[in-house]
Amino acid sequence: MSKSSQHRSTRIRTFVYCVLGFHAVVALIAPFLPLMPTDKQDSGAMLQGFSSTHWLGTDALGRDVLSRALHGGRPSLVIAILATALSAVIGIALGSLAALAGGWVDEALSRLIDFLLALPTLILLLLIASFFGHDPFILIVTLGFMYAAPIARVARASTQVLLARDFVRVARLQGGRGVNILLGEVLPNVWRVVFTEIAMQFTWIILAFSSLSFLGLGASPPTPEWGLMIAEARSYMTINPTAVIAPIVMLASLVLAVQALVDRE
Amino acid sequence: MQCDGSESAFRDNGMKNLARRALFTIGAFVSLAVLSFLGIDALPGDGCTALLGRFGTEAKIAECRVEHNLNDPVVVRLGSWASDVVQGDLGYSIKRDEQVAQIVLPRIRNTAMLALVAAVMAFPTAIVAGLLIGRFPRSRIGRAINTLGVVAMTLPEFVIATILWLVFSIWIPIFPGVTVVPSNATFMELLPHIWMPALTLAAVVFAHSMRTMKAGVTTIQAMPFVESARLRGTKERVTLLRHILPAALPPVVNTIAVDAAWLLTGTFVTEAIFNYRGLGRLTIDAISDRDTAVILPIVLFSLGAYLTMSLIADTVVRLLDPRLRQHQS
Amino acid sequence: MNAILQFDHVCVEARDGNRVVTPILDSVDLTVKAGEKFGIVGGSGSGKSTLLRIAAGVLSPGLHHTSGSVSTAGVSMLTVAPKVRQQMYGSSVALVAQSLGEALTSHLTVRAHFRDTLGRDVSDETILSSLDDAGLDGAKYLNRFPHQISGGERQRVLLALALVRSPSLLLLDEPTSALDVGIAADVLATIVRLQESRGFALVCVSHDIGVIGRVCDRVAVMSRGRIVEHGATRQVLAAPTDPYTRSLLASMPRLDMRIREPHARVQQPVVVVRDLTVIRSGSSRALDSINVEVGKGEVVGVIGESGSGKSTLLSVLCGLVPSTSGSIHNAHGFDLTTPLRDRPASVLSEIQMVFQNPDDSLNPVRTVEQSVARYTHANREEVLAALDAVELSEQFSTRRPSEMSGGEKQRVAIARALLAHPQLLLLDEVTSALDVTVQASVVKMLASVQVATGMSMVIVSHDIALIASFADRLIVLRNGQVVEQGSVGDVIDSPSDPYTQHLVKLAKTNSF
Repeated sequence: MSKSSQHRSTRIRTFVYCVLGFHAVVALIAPFLPLMPTDKQDSGAMLQGFSSTHWLGTDALGRDVLSRALHGGRPSLVIAILATALSAVIGIALGSLAALAGGWVDEALSRLIDFLLALPTLILLLLIASFFGHDPFILIVTLGFMYAAPIARVARASTQVLLARDFVRVARLQGGRGVNILLGEVLPNVWRVVFTEIAMQFTWIILAFSSLSFLGLGASPPTPEWGLMIAEARSYMTINPTAVIAPIVMLASLVLAVQALVDRE
Repeated sequence: MQCDGSESAFRDNGMKNLARRALFTIGAFVSLAVLSFLGIDALPGDGCTALLGRFGTEAKIAECRVEHNLNDPVVVRLGSWASDVVQGDLGYSIKRDEQVAQIVLPRIRNTAMLALVAAVMAFPTAIVAGLLIGRFPRSRIGRAINTLGVVAMTLPEFVIATILWLVFSIWIPIFPGVTVVPSNATFMELLPHIWMPALTLAAVVFAHSMRTMKAGVTTIQAMPFVESARLRGTKERVTLLRHILPAALPPVVNTIAVDAAWLLTGTFVTEAIFNYRGLGRLTIDAISDRDTAVILPIVLFSLGAYLTMSLIADTVVRLLDPRLRQHQS
Repeated sequence: MNAILQFDHVCVEARDGNRVVTPILDSVDLTVKAGEKFGIVGGSGSGKSTLLRIAAGVLSPGLHHTSGSVSTAGVSMLTVAPKVRQQMYGSSVALVAQSLGEALTSHLTVRAHFRDTLGRDVSDETILSSLDDAGLDGAKYLNRFPHQISGGERQRVLLALALVRSPSLLLLDEPTSALDVGIAADVLATIVRLQESRGFALVCVSHDIGVIGRVCDRVAVMSRGRIVEHGATRQVLAAPTDPYTRSLLASMPRLDMRIREPHARVQQPVVVVRDLTVIRSGSSRALDSINVEVGKGEVVGVIGESGSGKSTLLSVLCGLVPSTSGSIHNAHGFDLTTPLRDRPASVLSEIQMVFQNPDDSLNPVRTVEQSVARYTHANREEVLAALDAVELSEQFSTRRPSEMSGGEKQRVAIARALLAHPQLLLLDEVTSALDVTVQASVVKMLASVQVATGMSMVIVSHDIALIASFADRLIVLRNGQVVEQGSVGDVIDSPSDPYTQHLVKLAKTNSF
């Protein structure tokens, strides 16, 4: 790699980390920042552009856009992080144990993974979100199971490759037992590949939840959530674009940063 | 392992394999169909509550149920529904008072048209772009298209749709923003309304396939056989098209298959935004109306589309790699 | 001056993005005349492959040419435009690279390969005559895919493809290192024949001086990016002047050289194999009714080519692969066909194995100490003692695999096996992936370990000279069957089986 592209690569990397850090910090401390309350409607100042009181303007109900944009990631991030963690645990366990067990157990578990992959995830999400109200717990569990399958597939493939390697054979010869080998020899070596997949699933889950909110099936008003904000502000795009651009920038920058991060790995 | 190169071995194994996969796919479809029926049946409410909603009294709902045989045990209803479907009758929607087939089939046609237009726009360009960018990564155009692709992949569908709507309907008014033709309009009538949703879908799908192709090309061209071909004097164009491309295609085929299935079944948001009367729009409406009779065939169509695309992809991949034709791996 | 290849003070270095600079070629001067057969021999890291690739104008990413000039067929390869270079490939100069991976395109037939090089209208006759020249007979090859033909046949196809447009310079990088001994000899003979009939200049790079000796008239010896000695092959091999060349020649295994004194047969068996048959996937018999015994303190060498079943034999002995029929018992009568997970710990530790590929034997995330002690539960003193026995200093205990060479990694693998205190050590081609000088020192170390501990060993190799210098008894395997068994002296001096005779003859012609 030439020196200039090496430098550019490092600069991009630093920039990506900054963006991620920004999102993490904002999501955590937004309620403690000196911002306007997210649901205070200022009926005298609706759909205004930049001003000294409302730095990014107001939306159709007179609410401060900046404050809502900074708070808007919290619902999706909470759900996405929990759902991703669940799917990672299920996926890694399912995939690696299938590869370790081999034989009919592997066949059966592979069929299960195929079955989960065939499920129409979005329709299922719509159904569950629609029928079971906006209960975040059910949503997290559903997302966790549905998005576990791609992780399981990657985990299984990587584990199979690892188990054929000589140092695993030696471990067996020296008395290492199944799960012990899995944890000690296999997982530290497959982690990097699996982590990439997990990060990708994390971005899909965020996008899925935002889409649900956009359709009115995820977060419900007046909660500030990026997808919901975009849906609400879309019709007034020509009057005050900041109300729709701010959540778009927040959402896009987060997803872009995560994908850029794993792409470099 | 030494392999015999005879033609008949190929035919035997290839056919057997295909038959086995097809059988498995059908089996999977049937079992998933049954599961879907049971699953949707288990959801709270049924066709009668959908029709009468909040205004229905206990008595009216009970009466409705008797009328439509909704009190029969699950297995009986499953059986009669299954036999109906096999004979081509997709059932009756209580809420809309219409045969389900009338409701669903025109929508499938519309979405299929949309999917086709989007696919034709996206897939061939993605393959060509991915191939060229992978082979010449340092060109400026290549990097620009790559970045565009990355951005398209990370923006949610509704954002892309919104941006396109802003650009092509408001700022430069070429296309109509909202579809106003009824669902059983002809192809020509639909055509002006297809462009924007198709462009949106194409943008989403293009990025995915292009990235996969680029990654494949990058990996393949580092392999010894590519350099070996070049150092023998093989011309650049021949190396690219006959050596690199077929080797890099298999992962892209899988990506295209998954995305093609998505184009047919997952386009709710885009159809909602442009009010395009396709299957996606119907899905959202049916779900918010709780019309289970309509939801069920949609789910089945979704399953069928995914399984079929997977089967086709698998077959194509096997055809591309001679090694897979004879060995049963 | 009819030099077809000329290197003048060529310097190449490798640059890491983080400014680490490693010299790869250090002021290399080389002249190859038209029609000459020139060989370059050296270990890994000597720069020989880089040199060959530069002769073709190929500079791998990360390598920088800092000074000197390269002229191939009159063209300055490193400075000329890429299009001009591309024109030369196949017509003036052709490179056949090391084909450890796939050098042929797996989805194209042999005929398609020729079409791509010569144009779509090339006739089948032209292709067939080209294949015939390279020693492949028959139209059956035209429609075959690379995976349908053997390694030796693939190498011949590559030769045919390289020579089909009659270049004046052929560059070969390790042409036979992936091939069995017998097949390698045939391919080398073909190369010599082709050169003599067509008259092109040949530059052949190999780590194996036997290959060079067979093919080339002149040779250059490389070490660490420099040519340390060069001259007529016969001269250099008979009377080397450079110390590196001397150590290289001394490290070559010879049939008449003993690293370890053979012991007379000891009656007390450590493992007894009766009528063992192993059928792996498919219906082919990897092992067919094998009868073998290994005595206490005995070293048994197993010779065979690829497909002979030698690796399977080791895998079954230690329990990694299940047997189909027959029996294996240890000294106490324990049935060694029981699966690994059902064996008690004491039985498990009795038999240990070291594998061929040094890059695969160690977990990349672990240090040496962690790797060797994890399952053997050795304490620090025991770890250091084991490292000492394999001639590694204490500082290796904290190193990771990425910080060690192939030879060092194999020593660690051996130390790990020793820490289980086995009675029988199985060695599967453990030095095949190492440079010949490193191989010699590892084998010497193994000999001293064996003498010190008195453990039995089964050592598998394709190199009969290597095993004959080390083992007490030899077993020759072919297609899963034992074709000959006996003491080393008997088997080498008077082999009874024709296959063994063939192998011994090949080994004798290889040595100088």
